[in-house]
Amino acid sequence: MAVGLVFLATLPFHANPYLLFVGNLAMLYIVLTVGLNLLIGYTGMLAFQNAALFGVGAYGCAVLRVTLGLPYWLSLPAGGLIAMIVGVLVALPALRLTGLYLALATVAFAQFTLWVFLHWYSVTGGPAGIQMHPVDFGVLASTAEYGLYYLTMAIMLAVVALTWNLVRSRIGRAFVAIRESEVAAEALAIDLTRYKTIAYAISALYAGVAGGLFAAMLGIVVPESYDLFQVIAQFAMVVVGGIGSVWGAVIGAVGLIWVQEALRAFKEFQEIAFGGMILLTVLFLRGGAMSLIKRHIKGWDEPLRRIPRKR
Amino acid sequence: MSKLVTRNLSMTFGGLVALDGVDLDVPEGEIRGVIGPNGAGKTTLLNAITGVNQPTDGEVLLDGEVISGLKASRIAARGLARTFQTSQLFAGMTVLENVMTGLHARMGTSPLAAAFGLPSVWREEEDATEKAMSALDFVGMQQFADRDGGELSFGQQRVVEIARALVREPRVLLLDEPAVGLSMTRVSELDALLRRIREERGVTIVMIEHVIRLVMGVCDRITVLSSGRKIAEGTADEVTQNPEVIEAYLGRELDA
Repeated sequence: MAVGLVFLATLPFHANPYLLFVGNLAMLYIVLTVGLNLLIGYTGMLAFQNAALFGVGAYGCAVLRVTLGLPYWLSLPAGGLIAMIVGVLVALPALRLTGLYLALATVAFAQFTLWVFLHWYSVTGGPAGIQMHPVDFGVLASTAEYGLYYLTMAIMLAVVALTWNLVRSRIGRAFVAIRESEVAAEALAIDLTRYKTIAYAISALYAGVAGGLFAAMLGIVVPESYDLFQVIAQFAMVVVGGIGSVWGAVIGAVGLIWVQEALRAFKEFQEIAFGGMILLTVLFLRGGAMSLIKRHIKGWDEPLRRIPRKR
Repeated sequence: MSKLVTRNLSMTFGGLVALDGVDLDVPEGEIRGVIGPNGAGKTTLLNAITGVNQPTDGEVLLDGEVISGLKASRIAARGLARTFQTSQLFAGMTVLENVMTGLHARMGTSPLAAAFGLPSVWREEEDATEKAMSALDFVGMQQFADRDGGELSFGQQRVVEIARALVREPRVLLLDEPAVGLSMTRVSELDALLRRIREERGVTIVMIEHVIRLVMGVCDRITVLSSGRKIAEGTADEVTQNPEVIEAYLGRELDA
């Protein structure tokens, strides 16, 4: 892990601009996938609105920055907050749904949001989207790319650490209890509404922040980034990495970004590859990549509690 | 003193009357058995008491306070614990974590405090681990603490479920057929465990059960349901000699 961190931190010094871009992309997808896994993997909600919320964060950040002239350090968290608010608004009706109906309703929401991105010209700029000038990091970084890379890295590390703490508490146990049996969770005095809403809110916040980072990295926000392929890509990251595992989400995000980039020349195969990987994982490797690690690395454990210090 | 009371508790699903005005009065410290033929409404009674289904009529009182109408999680928080007919131990969690989940409402960690791993969270987790281990110890399952909840045998899951309910220090423990599928040795162990829960923990128990040996041995009083109505109540002897009970179980003798 230490080796990986050193590699990440020094990547800008030995990588070409393209690799830096891929690294940056992978890290912001880690932020997104760790959040989505809280909702799908831990809490067991088969919900697909995060592709749209990723877009809401990106558009929120871009509109605030370009149209209203807010600095990036304000528009980025604001975009995240807007996504979180929209996410909770989605959660309110979605709380009553589970399984297939939840999946249908949230995919419909994602399609509706895409329609709004395309047609709300006055705010989103329609199909042409919103151009965003590079973020100026001033004395902190020599170029916008370096600055954004380290900002994404800092946010990614914080998100992984905070989430890793969160799941090893009564909150994480409540999430998993709801996934395994809502009736039994309620019988243990776990408030379903409260904990589902928390899961929706956190995953929406992470998706929104990732969206703001994505917008700054590309320099443009366009509707087609947030279409059905985005839904499938995010879902694939969670499933292939490992449902219900923070580290699985990290592996899934990095692994699938790598696959996506390897297939950049054959764009039509990206969707086939992602769909195929979901299918293969569900058929032959239910726990995703994490289940292999659990099986082959002795002593690997992902507890849902703090291990007491030896006294 | 009455611990758990139901008054005229009724439940209809569509046109089907599943519970028909059931009055129950369980005094503190009693082990009450609820028996009845299949479809008598036993599990419906439990679901109506615990708020899984809202009763269509009547009320439920815990220590004299009305709890019917509250959400299931609020009722549970008031001190009602239950186990399920089909084991509901959580998979993807160890046995210890399962029992710690039982402590949910007795802990106060907020999402933010948890995310930042504040010292108070550490203390609470340590405390919860200790309590959960002692609950597992109480039911004799501490050696399984680190096993996944889904890996245990049916009978073991049952017992861990009881530990998960007990760790909450409930006022009333409701058990839905705890002995179903257990071997005779296991049933004797369960018998002893239930007595210890009452004696050492002072928990009032209401138990639905088909295994007559357990019911007759351990219950102070038995309530008999048939077709959603209470048809008899009393000690094991009184109930087994009640002609209405015999009829409900064996059917009416054909008049020649």
